[in-house]
Order: sequence, then C-alpha cells, then structure tokens
Amino acid sequence: MNILYVEDELKIANFVRTGLEEQGFVVDYCNNGNNGFTRALDNEYDVILLDIMIPGRDGVSILKGLRQAGKNTPVILLTARNDLNDRLDGLNLGADDYIAKPFFVEELIARIYAVLRRALGERQNYLIAGPLKLDRISREVTCLNKLVELTTREFNLLEYLMRSPGRVFTRTQILSHVWGYDFNPSTNLVDVCIQRIRKKIEPIASFGLIESVRGVGYRFRNDE
Amino acid sequence: MMNKFKISSFRLRIAFLSASLASISVVFFGVFSWYLTYNAKLSRLDALLANVLTMPLLHNIAGLNQIYLDNAIKTELDLPVYLFAINPDRQIIYKSPNWPANLQIDQLWQSFPKLHHPAPPFLTGTDTPSNQSEKIPPIPIFYTKQTGSVAWRIGLIVFPDIQIATILNLQVVNEELSVIKNIFLISIPLTLFFVASGAWILSGKALSPIRDLITTIEKVNVTGLAQKIPPNQSNIEFSKLIEVFNQMLERLDRSFKQAIRFSGDAAHELKTPLTILQGEVERALIQVEMGSEIQQRFSTLLDEIQRLNSIVHKLLFLSLADAEQINLQRENIDVSSLLLYILEDIQTLAPHLETEIKISPNLKLQGDCDLLTQVIQNLLSNAIKYNLSKGWIKIIAYEDKKDILINIVNASENILENEKELIFERFYRRDICHCREIEGTGLGLSIAKEITLAHGGQLTLDNSVSNQTSFLLRLPKEEDF
Repeated sequence: MNILYVEDELKIANFVRTGLEEQGFVVDYCNNGNNGFTRALDNEYDVILLDIMIPGRDGVSILKGLRQAGKNTPVILLTARNDLNDRLDGLNLGADDYIAKPFFVEELIARIYAVLRRALGERQNYLIAGPLKLDRISREVTCLNKLVELTTREFNLLEYLMRSPGRVFTRTQILSHVWGYDFNPSTNLVDVCIQRIRKKIEPIASFGLIESVRGVGYRFRNDE
Repeated sequence: MMNKFKISSFRLRIAFLSASLASISVVFFGVFSWYLTYNAKLSRLDALLANVLTMPLLHNIAGLNQIYLDNAIKTELDLPVYLFAINPDRQIIYKSPNWPANLQIDQLWQSFPKLHHPAPPFLTGTDTPSNQSEKIPPIPIFYTKQTGSVAWRIGLIVFPDIQIATILNLQVVNEELSVIKNIFLISIPLTLFFVASGAWILSGKALSPIRDLITTIEKVNVTGLAQKIPPNQSNIEFSKLIEVFNQMLERLDRSFKQAIRFSGDAAHELKTPLTILQGEVERALIQVEMGSEIQQRFSTLLDEIQRLNSIVHKLLFLSLADAEQINLQRENIDVSSLLLYILEDIQTLAPHLETEIKISPNLKLQGDCDLLTQVIQNLLSNAIKYNLSKGWIKIIAYEDKKDILINIVNASENILENEKELIFERFYRRDICHCREIEGTGLGLSIAKEITLAHGGQLTLDNSVSNQTSFLLRLPKEEDF
C-alpha cells in the first residue's frame, strides 16, 4: 500500500511514518505543499494524508486541486486547526475522512483501512481474531460460529481491541475511543465493560481472549 | 432615597425646571408690576387728595365752594372725593354735603394724631404772625383704611386746632387693579403651560440624537463589537460623542478578539507538541516489555497527555463559542434512543444508585449528535459524581409543543443559592466533599451550556428542592433561526 504523507512538522512525521511502516505501508513523505501536490498528481497512491497547515500550498488547496484534476485518490486530512470548522470544510471539499491532532497512530491506521475499504467498495467487512469474527456492517459478533449478543458499547470496545491483536491499550485510550473525547467519569467503566464482554465470550471460547496488562490496560490476545 | 419625588426622566426634569424658572420670573414680574401700578395709582390719588386739601387752606371752610371743589375733583378723576374737618375733641366741624350715608367718620380714625402745627390764621381767626417754622405748610399724611368691604384712601392734614381729611373710595382703583390681577392670573398659567410644553418639545428635540445613538448602540450590541456607529454630521457635539464611543468600541473589539484569539492560538500551539508527545509515548508503550514497570509508567504518562488533550480541546471549543463560531453539523437525531444508549452506562458506572428512567418514545430533533451526546454525558456523569452514597438518579425525557425536555435529577448535597450561576462558570469546581476526590476539569457544564445555547436551547439548574439537584435541558425540535 502506497501512502503519500504531507506534513511539515518533522517530529510528528517521524513517529507517524514509523507507525505506518510497521504496519506494512510504503510511505512517501513530503514536507511542503507544492512538492506534495506535484507528487500527488504524478503518482498513483492508495491514500493521501494531508496536513492542512503546511508551507506552500495548504492541505485544503491541494485537495481542491486534486479533485479538479480528476484525481479521486482517498484523502485523509490531518489538522490542528479548530476542529469543527475544518471538519466541515474538509468533508465538503471531498476529503474522505478527517482526523484532528493530537491523534493516535493506531486510530489513523484504522481510518486508513476504513477509507481503503470504502474506496474498494467492499461489501463484506469482517475482522477476524482467534475464534472471533466481527462483522462491521451487520454489527454481529460470532465466536466459534455462535452468535454473541453485545450492546453497542461492548461491540465498539471489542472492535477497537480486535483491530490490533496483541497491542495494549490504556483504559483512557479505550474510554476516549469508545465513549467519546470528553467523557471522563472514571476508568472503572472500561473494567466493567470488559468483564461483561469476557462473560459473554469466554464460556464459548473456553479460554481468555481479552488480557489485562497490569497497571496499563487491556489487549486482545494475539495467537500468532 | 432622600428625595422621593426625584424625576427620573431627564426630559421631564428639563421641562419642569424651565417651567419653574419661568414661573418664578413671571410671578416676580407680576407682583412687581402690580406693586408699581398700585403705587403709581395711589400717588396720583394722593396728589389729587393733596390738591383738594390745600383748597380749604385757601378758602374758609364754611365758605368753601363745594361745587367748584366737586367739579375740580371730577375733572381730575372720575371719582367722588369727600372732605371733613374735626377739632381735637373729635367734633365734626365740616363734612362734605355728598358724604356717603353709611360711612362713619369715627371708623376712619384710629387714634387722634399728634398735633404739630398751629391752625392757620384764617381758621382760628387770630392774626398772630407766625415764626419761621410756622410758615412751613404742614405735610399731608396719606394712609389707607379698610371699613367693611370698602377701602378708603385718606389724606390728612393736621393742625393744632383742626384736622382736615379728604377721603376717596379706593374701590375703583382696586377694581382696575383686579383687572390687571385677573390678567396675570390667566396669563401666568398660560405662559407656564407654553413654556413647559415648549421646554418639553425642545428637550425632546435636543435628546433625539441621543435616542438615535441608543438605537444604533443597541444594534451594535446585537451584531457584535465590530459594528460602528455612523458619524452624525449635523451636530458637532454628538459627532464628538460618537467618535469617542466608536474609539471605545474599537478598543473593546480589539481586546475581545485578542482574548478569543489568544486562547484559540494557545490551544492550537499546544496541539503540535501534544501530538508529538502522544505519538512518541504511544510508540514507546507498545515497544517496551508487556506489563513491565516502564510500560506502566508510559501508560500513566499517556493518561496525563490525554487529560491535557481534553483540556486543550475544551478550551478551544470555548474560544470558538466566544467567537460565536460553533458550526453545528445538524442531522436528525432520535433523542429517545440516544438517551437509552447513553443511559446504558449508569448501570455500569453506578450500580449502587437507584435509577428511574422515563423516556417518551420517538423524541426527535435536528442537532449535532456528537455535541448533544457530550451534553447528556456530562450531565449524567455529574449526576453520578455528585450523588450521595446511597442516592438515586431520575431521568425524564418528554416533549411539549416546541421543545424536547430532558430532566436529569439526582440526590445530592444542597447546592447553595449563590452557586446556582457559578456552577456554569468556567473552571468552577464544587467544593462539597473533602473526603473524596472528584475528577474533572470544571469545564464540562460551561461547555454543555454553550452547546445548548448554540442549539437555541436552554440549560437550567433547579436547586429549589433540598437534597436534590435537577438540570433541565430544553432543546427546540426545529431551529427557529
């Protein structure tokens, strides 16, 4: 998968790039808008990541230029500017998604996959990890082909963990992803929710799928 | 305070003041001119009386030519003049033949005046030559005497042996003066009325630029500080005022924008380092040994970074709200199911609390789903955080004609009356229970309020019932503007 990544902040670019490359993406990095625009026009990428505030042509103008030139490569906008207005502008201009700084690379990767799936027009969207199969479209979870009844929250939490098996997430990370940015009643909520999911899945699977990492958080068991 | 009758209207005060000023001067003028007229009349009469008085000095009283006298007086003034003379024993020596029947001479005397001068020779009959002082003719005294309803002007000349008085009915003079008085009595209130209404109209005219100014300033307040008042060319006094006011507006506008931009910029500037920090710590967290002590530390760090993120995010939101730049992504929301979805968390978060949920089905409105979720989550988490240890939560959602109402009530310690507004202030934290740490930034409710306002709704606190807190969220089903 080829990704064009236009970002002027080198330190941000470094860890984003590493994170993406670890996932097997090939990242073409560029630190200014003019270069970014030419490269985007000249090459075929699977996804373009655009920072809005960059030297030269800004992200929004690159996006406009690309769409005018008939390029329909999926674009994800990254920005630190005021969230709501940019979200509107960006999506109206034909961006496929929008992610506000600060973001987790994990989250960005999930968005990239989502955008790619949409671009490929996938009708089926499964997430399979161990004995679990999660259907993102019908929002059904089966464990060893047995249907597991989950609430919306439980489904979202499980999906978040299953996206990256083996990877640990802190309670706060889970909370902000599943419950929302500004909802912070207590991390206890995550523990209770995890317990419920375990109670529903583990009798079927007959072994633990969600592991606690002491003092850190939770991860989905990785059997590979 | 001291003056209960203080007039609060400037215009009325000006009218009242000018009317009273005018009335004082008119009354003063009236009294003064009345007094002058009266005196002038009197002195004319006095001169007449003196004229008549000197006649008996020239003629023997007995032989006084009454007809001549009467004629003389009549030609001078169309008034009857009477004459009498008495001796020191108050015996009447002479009385005019036309003396009014009902008039007693005694009534005209108060006391017998002291006699200064000897009688003139022709009256006493003696022919002794008088000395120097005796040659000076006696000076007549004039006074006014009231008998019954009639006033008499009396001119009196006093000799040692005889007193001669001419009297004149003042009624005619008084009648004449009363005409003047009546003119004044009519003209003064009329003048006052005209002056007062003139002052009223004038002050209204004088204040009209101020009224215009007020209307313009009201518009400025509605449309924002950037608005300017158009300069008024016709009145230099007011154009100066407008200029000064515009300068003030500009300064206010500048500092207001600066304040908004500052928090916005500060939040924005914080985002880049936070992104780097978060990204690096996120990487570090997954690279170190699973469950190790260093991973626990990184996880703590990551939590703190997220807390910072959340604060920055909230500040940015509030600065947007201040700049009135919240853009709502409106969509159709099924409030009933949204509420049920959020309320799932009560059981998880607070299984110890008694809950009562009454949600009418099919409550629908147009709004920003993410933001409204945030409002409800915030109210709910407050209801849990500030609950009593064996408390309860009641959530009622219903609709009326125009609005959807969500009432979240919980058991709590009493909220003081002075806290009622403070609770929506930024960074305000209730200091209720010192034994228990309550997490939060103190921004949640102010953000909830801003979001509600942006939707054209209202968020109010009702603390009237003791030991419970009730928030009422009122959201219009359809946006009016």
